[in-house]
Amino acid sequence: MALVNDIITAHSGGEPVTAGQLVTVNVDKVYVQDGNSPTIAKIFGDNGCESVFDKDAVGIFFDHSVITPNIAIANRLKEAHAFAERLGVQVYPQGAGISHVVAMENGWFSPGRIVMGSDSHTCTGGAVQSLALGMGASDIAAAMITGEAWLKVPETVWLNIKGKPLPITKAKDVVLYVLATLGQEKFLYRSVEWMGPWVSELSLDSAATVASLGVELGAKCVFLPDGPGRPHGMRPISPDANGTVLEVDITDLPPMVAKPHSPSNVVPIDEMNHAKIDYVFVGSCTNSRLEDIADVAHQLAGKKVSDRVHCLITPGSKDVYLKAIEKGYISTLTEAGAVVTPPGCGSCLGTQGSIPADGDRILSTMNRNFLGRMGNPEAEIYLASPLVAAHTAVHGRIPSVEDLL
Amino acid sequence: MTEILNVRTRRISGVISTDDIIPGRYKHMHTDTSKLAQHVFENRFPGLAATFHASDLIVADDTFGIGSSREQAVSSLLAAGVTVIVAPRFGRIFFRNCWNLGMFAIEADALRFAEGENIVVNIGDGNLIGADTVVNFTPPPKRMLDMVAAGGLIPSVLRRINKQLLQRKGSTNHV
Repeated sequence: MALVNDIITAHSGGEPVTAGQLVTVNVDKVYVQDGNSPTIAKIFGDNGCESVFDKDAVGIFFDHSVITPNIAIANRLKEAHAFAERLGVQVYPQGAGISHVVAMENGWFSPGRIVMGSDSHTCTGGAVQSLALGMGASDIAAAMITGEAWLKVPETVWLNIKGKPLPITKAKDVVLYVLATLGQEKFLYRSVEWMGPWVSELSLDSAATVASLGVELGAKCVFLPDGPGRPHGMRPISPDANGTVLEVDITDLPPMVAKPHSPSNVVPIDEMNHAKIDYVFVGSCTNSRLEDIADVAHQLAGKKVSDRVHCLITPGSKDVYLKAIEKGYISTLTEAGAVVTPPGCGSCLGTQGSIPADGDRILSTMNRNFLGRMGNPEAEIYLASPLVAAHTAVHGRIPSVEDLL
Repeated sequence: MTEILNVRTRRISGVISTDDIIPGRYKHMHTDTSKLAQHVFENRFPGLAATFHASDLIVADDTFGIGSSREQAVSSLLAAGVTVIVAPRFGRIFFRNCWNLGMFAIEADALRFAEGENIVVNIGDGNLIGADTVVNFTPPPKRMLDMVAAGGLIPSVLRRINKQLLQRKGSTNHV
């Protein structure tokens, strides 16, 4: 049975569900990020609601505006803190890290749970087979109050990844390639179960990268197979007898770059013709974990960030930051001339620095390059892996496959 | 439920992300949706925000509302006057947010309608009627129409909770 059907069945009274059905489910965990909590606080206030279904099952994360950039956002954060205190729920303050990264580290996601988050990249929890759903403020408020949500059972597609990419090609590159090859329509509204030898051997950090990009595929949720470092209770992934299986061959795949202004606008890295870059950002819920910081540190060791490049690195969580300090990565990055910021969402969406200048060309490890995403519509954003980002930071240009090998 | 609306069509072209609808920096600044309404489509279609008025229907030609979960993408459009969005496909979270807030999100190809046409939308029957064109769509499930009739997700949830509380009180009294 498709994992999503199984999980929804277990959370909606035990009657087996089928795709297309509208059901009410019990929710195990609900979390909120700072950008949406003022809206949720307003919904609670406007409707005279004062409590949540379970204080231990609800968390508020302060990650989008860690270093508050202006008065308006400062005031919204103050409201969000007061709201969290009134409710008595779990609070992860500025500096704790990105909700999805911390939720994985702290066991909010675990196999078979239904977890709702007020941020679209909540789908990250699919890396450990949580039915992890990003939703809007009203859905989240309703779930916080009742512990329930309405769901339409999605159809499932199985995505079979064949072959192995080049060693310089990372999880991010593979998802961009899938998006370029199959497009969004095949995944829209659906549950996507990843399978094949490549995905089964991924580290948990890389699996989280793949899962975080589920929303960029257009999927409702994603599930990855069991692998090293995963919690107990992961189920084998196997397609239904008459299920839809999509195949993508990644044999010898080179790194990919998504050009402005869509994550679907993907080309192999050599087609970038060593394009000049002004600003490199390493961070976001897609690529800010220890493995990503290590990739960058290994590239920057004994080298210097180009004089022409502003290189910003934002670890995904306090835990990642502390481990990176312990391993000497932060010294390496700082010595090389990168600016390391406190943990959080970093400059991913223009709610804190660094905002790009007009005409800037940015190479970023984040998940979205929509026009104006980092706070300036006059800037161009290119998406790539941390390895590519690090090389770009040193040379001021996007590398070729030959440069990286 | 037979919801009938008189609306003006507004054509929007291309894949539209929720970042395109309302840029991230604004949604972290304001909870007042009338303030957000001034900035809708600001990066993608500068100047468009000022041209919306009450009872506008957006006709999109590609995936609408992909990306971020920001409910403000819906609340800011509602505040700008948009009441219906017709698109061939929607971003999943945006679609939910629409219905939760009482915005009618309809999957259909309505490209036969020109910009600025006055049309009638019959939600319950599933059709859009222009001067010389009719576009049919699958009417939404009753559960979703009931939710909109109740004023959206939150009012419908609260109504249900209050009912349960009253019932519980009632049964206690009997004991």
